[in-house]
Amino acid sequence: MNVLDIRGLTKKFGDFVAVDNMSLTIREGEIFGFLGANGAGKSTTIHMVSSLLRPTSGEIRILEKDITKQSRFAKMNLGIVPQDLAIYEDMTAYENVSFFAGLYGLRGDKLKERAEEALEFVGLSDKAKSFPKNFSGGMKRRLNIACAIAHKPKLIIMDEPTVGIDPQSRNYILASVRKLNESGCTIIYTSHYMEEVEEICSRIAIVDHGKIIAEGTKEQLKSTITDVKDIRIELKSVKGTEGDLLKQVPGVRTVLQEENVIRVHSDAAVDNLNRILKQLMDAGKEIRSVEEQEPNLETVFLTLTGRNLRD
Amino acid sequence: MNILSIAIKEMKQDFRDRRTILFMLCFPIVLMIILGLALTNAFSSEVSVGEIKVVVKDATGGGPLSEAFAGFAKEVGKMGVAFEPLKPGMNGREEVENNRYVDYVELTNQGISLYGSSQDAIESNIVQGMLASFTDKYNAAAAVARIEPAKTEMVLAGGGNDYIRELSVDSNRTPGSIDYYALAMTVMVGMWAAMGAGKLIQGEVLRGTAVRLVTAPIRKSEIFTGKLLGGIVTNILCVIVIILFSKYVFKAYWGHHMGIVMIVLISEIILAMSFGLAGSYLLKGAASRGIISLVVQLLSFFGGAYFPIGDDSGEGVMGFLVNLSPIRWANHGLTQVIYANNVSAAWPVLGLNIGFAVLFLGVSIFVMRRREGL
Repeated sequence: MNVLDIRGLTKKFGDFVAVDNMSLTIREGEIFGFLGANGAGKSTTIHMVSSLLRPTSGEIRILEKDITKQSRFAKMNLGIVPQDLAIYEDMTAYENVSFFAGLYGLRGDKLKERAEEALEFVGLSDKAKSFPKNFSGGMKRRLNIACAIAHKPKLIIMDEPTVGIDPQSRNYILASVRKLNESGCTIIYTSHYMEEVEEICSRIAIVDHGKIIAEGTKEQLKSTITDVKDIRIELKSVKGTEGDLLKQVPGVRTVLQEENVIRVHSDAAVDNLNRILKQLMDAGKEIRSVEEQEPNLETVFLTLTGRNLRD
Repeated sequence: MNILSIAIKEMKQDFRDRRTILFMLCFPIVLMIILGLALTNAFSSEVSVGEIKVVVKDATGGGPLSEAFAGFAKEVGKMGVAFEPLKPGMNGREEVENNRYVDYVELTNQGISLYGSSQDAIESNIVQGMLASFTDKYNAAAAVARIEPAKTEMVLAGGGNDYIRELSVDSNRTPGSIDYYALAMTVMVGMWAAMGAGKLIQGEVLRGTAVRLVTAPIRKSEIFTGKLLGGIVTNILCVIVIILFSKYVFKAYWGHHMGIVMIVLISEIILAMSFGLAGSYLLKGAASRGIISLVVQLLSFFGGAYFPIGDDSGEGVMGFLVNLSPIRWANHGLTQVIYANNVSAAWPVLGLNIGFAVLFLGVSIFVMRRREGL
């Protein structure tokens, strides 16, 4: 069963086309990674799916029902974990969860039971009567998730749920995502952390300039770039001019710099490693290590969009 | 049910915001004390009158008038009006001119003459009034004596109070300074609801919770109504606390029509909430809160919340500005209800408040429906 069906979706803000004739299908039980740099159109798409924005044209169906015609049904089956925290600091954790769950028609004992269940799921049962203003960033993020799941939605959209939290809370959230998926929820997951997406998503779409430019499992995506090799060069120091220098080497497509590491994406068919290293040494650069890596999702993303995910 | 849940959530949050609630309650109460005490004299219509001294020359050589006047002087003497005989060598008129006596009374067989002091006009008027009563009584007694002499004494007998009749210039009760500020501050707090309403929807957007509300299976109108209802109830409770405090602690007078007073105040709160909402929808962002706050302060100032301003004529720029303030409408109408028992004075205020509230709500709903999200 298709949990989400998007057909020819377009959103324009004046003359700017944020989402351009996008089509996408997400099947039941998937953890679907939605990747795109800032301004690529992924948030606009998510906002249209969650009824925060009206599409300029196109159709969105949740559980095979049109969200504009059967808005209540669509909303009942949707849970949102927004990127920005959406909780009331002046209401206890329990009050937050039960208030939002109450808007989905839950009442009385059932509401109480679901709210407690949601808090337990995110590990905040012992903080039910505490106010979020006293919570750590990770705890607030977990409460943000609890507010989205108490009504047991079929589809959960998680928009960067691990932004700005400690590794322990991040691991907890990732484990929760898997548990939710195992319990039958379909999840749309966006993140700027490529390793998270690689770790938990069963299928991934890469969005750029309002369009889906690649879609599939991570293996399928990686296989699309067999013509690219990923060379990692660690230097003693980096000045920032290395990119221009290396782009003069035949076959080099993109050069990225992360602290003292230069990452070069080059045509796999061109044997240019010696020329790349010579170019650096001629410029007086001291090379500490060189490594040719298997392409990962980041390589795929860079190759397809020419941009880093965090751009 | 969703409306009720949202309204309850709204009230819970409002009452947990201790700083705002304390400000809403303490500020008007403190102002009531400060302004009420500082401006006591400005609201007082009382004049203290001390002992009234009148010098009398009896030139009748004894007789009925002299006897009757002696009785009259004795009676009114109990009320602080002292009639002293003119001593030999004294000139009655000079005594009054030199301010040693308030009046000079001369009794002759032709009647009574009174020379009053223009410097003590109030005291002199009191004496004149008493003498007028006495002469009416004496003339009546003289007429009775001609027909039935035995009953003359009955006419002349009677308490001293007969000589004083209260003919008040202002027959209605008028507000003292505490009464005035109890009303003015309560009405002002009602108008403050606009400032809270300004962040009613924007607050959800800023907190990020608007996303959850909009994506929940409820209508925007339910969110709007629930939040509005919660805000209205919170403000009504604040107004009730201030009324009770002023009534039982400051002994402010609220009249005998509390139901009507409350209805007018509720209509004012609804108007203020609608105004704040419309402002936040039309102006957007943090600037809207500043502008709404400024407008409320101006309305409070021109409405007479801090001190009475302007008159009822509505003439001139100030008169025009004053009459634009809903605080002024409410103050004016409620003063009539409370002090003149004029309940019908509430209807125009209710009409204006509800009329403008409908207009502002209409604007808010129109903008909300067109807007994506909240």
